[in-house]
Amino acid sequence: MIKKWLPQFWEDLRTSADAGLLGVARFVGLLYGPIDRNLRIDEAWRKALRYRLAEHVGWRHALGGITYLLLMVLVVTGVLLAFYYRPSVDEAYPSIQHIVSEVSFGWLIRDLHLWCANLIVIVALAHMARVFFEAAYKPPREMNWIVGLALLGVALAFGATGYLLPWDQWAYWTVTEVLDAVALIPLFGGLLADAIKGDVIASGATLSRFFALHVIVLPWITLALVSYHFTLIRRRGLAPPMTVDDGGRKWWLSGVGVGEQPHGGRPFFPNHLLRSFGVAVLTLAVALTLAVLFPRPVGEPANPYVLPNELVSTWAPVDVSLALIRFTGIWGLALFSLLGVGLILLPVFDRRPERGLRQRPVAVALGTVFFVGFLAAWLAGRQIRSVPPSERPQPEVVGEQAEQLQELPLPDLGPTPPVPNPEDSGRRR
Amino acid sequence: MKMCTVVTGVVVWAVVGWPQGIVAESVWMPSVQQQFSDTTYGCLICHAEKRRTFTMGIHAEHGMRCHDCHGGDPSSFERGPAHSGRFLGDPDKLETVQLCSSCHADANQMRQYGLPAGQLAEFRTSRHGRLLLERGDQNAPTCTDCHDAHTILPREDARSNVYPTSIPATCAKCHDDAAMMEEYGIAVDQFRQYRESAHGKAVFERANLAAPTCTGCHGSHAALPPGVSEIVNVCERCHVLVGRAFRQGPHDRATRDGALPGCMGCHSNHGTEGVPPEGIASLCANCHAPDSRARLVGVEFEEQIVRARQDLAAAEYALEEMAQAGRQVSDERFRYRTALTSYREMGQVHHSLDMGRLEDLGRQVRSDTELIRATAEAEAEGRWERKLILLPIWFLALSGIVFAWFRLRELER
Repeated sequence: MIKKWLPQFWEDLRTSADAGLLGVARFVGLLYGPIDRNLRIDEAWRKALRYRLAEHVGWRHALGGITYLLLMVLVVTGVLLAFYYRPSVDEAYPSIQHIVSEVSFGWLIRDLHLWCANLIVIVALAHMARVFFEAAYKPPREMNWIVGLALLGVALAFGATGYLLPWDQWAYWTVTEVLDAVALIPLFGGLLADAIKGDVIASGATLSRFFALHVIVLPWITLALVSYHFTLIRRRGLAPPMTVDDGGRKWWLSGVGVGEQPHGGRPFFPNHLLRSFGVAVLTLAVALTLAVLFPRPVGEPANPYVLPNELVSTWAPVDVSLALIRFTGIWGLALFSLLGVGLILLPVFDRRPERGLRQRPVAVALGTVFFVGFLAAWLAGRQIRSVPPSERPQPEVVGEQAEQLQELPLPDLGPTPPVPNPEDSGRRR
Repeated sequence: MKMCTVVTGVVVWAVVGWPQGIVAESVWMPSVQQQFSDTTYGCLICHAEKRRTFTMGIHAEHGMRCHDCHGGDPSSFERGPAHSGRFLGDPDKLETVQLCSSCHADANQMRQYGLPAGQLAEFRTSRHGRLLLERGDQNAPTCTDCHDAHTILPREDARSNVYPTSIPATCAKCHDDAAMMEEYGIAVDQFRQYRESAHGKAVFERANLAAPTCTGCHGSHAALPPGVSEIVNVCERCHVLVGRAFRQGPHDRATRDGALPGCMGCHSNHGTEGVPPEGIASLCANCHAPDSRARLVGVEFEEQIVRARQDLAAAEYALEEMAQAGRQVSDERFRYRTALTSYREMGQVHHSLDMGRLEDLGRQVRSDTELIRATAEAEAEGRWERKLILLPIWFLALSGIVFAWFRLRELER
């Protein structure tokens, strides 16, 4: 019965299913290049597997793929965490305790989520550095540089909104600090901080906002941007090797090989897929190892009335800002941010066709400072245990009340008691 | 500054507004200022500077004016007639006592304010009062030396000289004056000692207004150092349970026989401090011979209490560790509180020198803290075992990578 039924089912499936469905497999990296929708799905599959990649695709091109893999891990672990996490002031902290100590492998899922969030920023920056130094951001691929930067912005927004969710002292006060800093931005800073907070202090309203952004808004933005990013890669192709002049051709098709270069390049299957597999396994193993060996401690429950003794930062960008502020002051952070913005705007100005490292010394120097600086600041920042600011304005007597108090000569309660002059010790008048 | 402008403005306004029939009732004004904007009050013509200090005090608030204490005729605008009649210009120390007690010793007048009327009677019994009233000693303080002459504030007012946090400085005005105190053979380091003491820290650092200042033990108007036989009673007013334990022990008998100065046998007076657990035995050695039985009991006491404290510290560390790992520790925290209560009880009970009860409490501390530590240890072991998951992870990962590696080499050869 089954022997007869199964082949029949398979036959029905492959004759009825649209080859376009293979787009899903392509979206998660199992296929590559154009899908021939005129064919039956299994034929289109086989045809797609026969594609070849450009010869110069090397290990350095894996960085983008690793970033995407980490994103997928984040999605999966994030969904698993959402089964147990409860986004309210009363329940957030206990639900984290529950996840970490009672749910089976909850501790692993949570720390994996956290470490992937760290690694994705680092690997995305490494990916950016590769694109930057290979001048792959120059026309015709400048749009993809912009989309990539938008994705980096989304990654940072993910981290910033996720940072508050544990609702412990470190999370709470780091977010408060950051929001205070945002409020210092001239003109719109105060409005922006208030809009994010939704309350006069970071509170349940803030938690709800951050949760909604983290699990509803940002994922959809990410999906749109990532799809566009991949589409652009296919449309514009990978940048050719730096030794080859990119000027002549409009763009270098990457997913080709069928007609154009029948025997050149590297076969997608199984060669490229095997390499991807190796990289993916190594990435997962490293992320899991970090998660197992360096779990994030659970701090004290958030308390808006008590400052913690120290803040432990758990996310790369916070580490970087901490290190920059500690070692170069607030202007150092501002300058570094400016440098980052400069790199973002680079493709707008730098449109010359030269791609060699020696032909564009300024861009290379700036890029080196930024990427090396980021890595150094991250490693340094992980060592810093910052103390929350004691200069936070304390409620004090102000205005009229203070003036009235000053009018009376009060006995000094300072380090030494007032030693009276023997002459007026008897009488005060 | 602001008040000054307001007062000046009010004076000008009153001078201009009065003839036109615009009276103050139509406008809100603080009653005290209104009263003192009165240009018909003669004292202010010369003594304007006293007005400000006086209006801040409680007496002005209740409608008293210069002549109520100083006499004279405030309706005269010239010095001669104004200072005539029953006039008391600048009362000396003794006159000040008489003047204040003319109202404050009168229970009928004080009743309406809810004030006691016994200050004069108390003052007579104090060393201060005896020096001033019997010997006319001009060094002794009179009412105004502590309460100020014109800005007299209730003791609940934080600006007052007799507010709890201000009392030590008020007393120190004289008691820190070595030249003055030499005459009476009194030491001058009480204030310094007090500030370092448990009581001083409670008052100055934690703003605990229930902790005693100078007057808490010595009394205020009846200020006198407690006698040897009175010390236990004084301390016991706050340290109730310690006092109760002390009275059950042999040291209380020794105190009653006059062999021991009560609590001060082990603690000091102005520099009051808790004896640290590891200092108990050496303290016993101050009185008891090194090989005496009492000394050995002291050593045993010290061991018990030090051990209990170590148990508590270990339990606290274990609690912290568990909390950081994300475990819900409310049960353990409750147990820790129980242990802490037993430990605090040890601190009270050992004043009775009852070894049996102390051992019982020590056992309670130990059993509670041991449970916390055992739980934490099991947790830590579980967390360590979790790390073993890395073995299969890396086994699978390495096999995968090796497989891919060899396959690739084969393909690309």
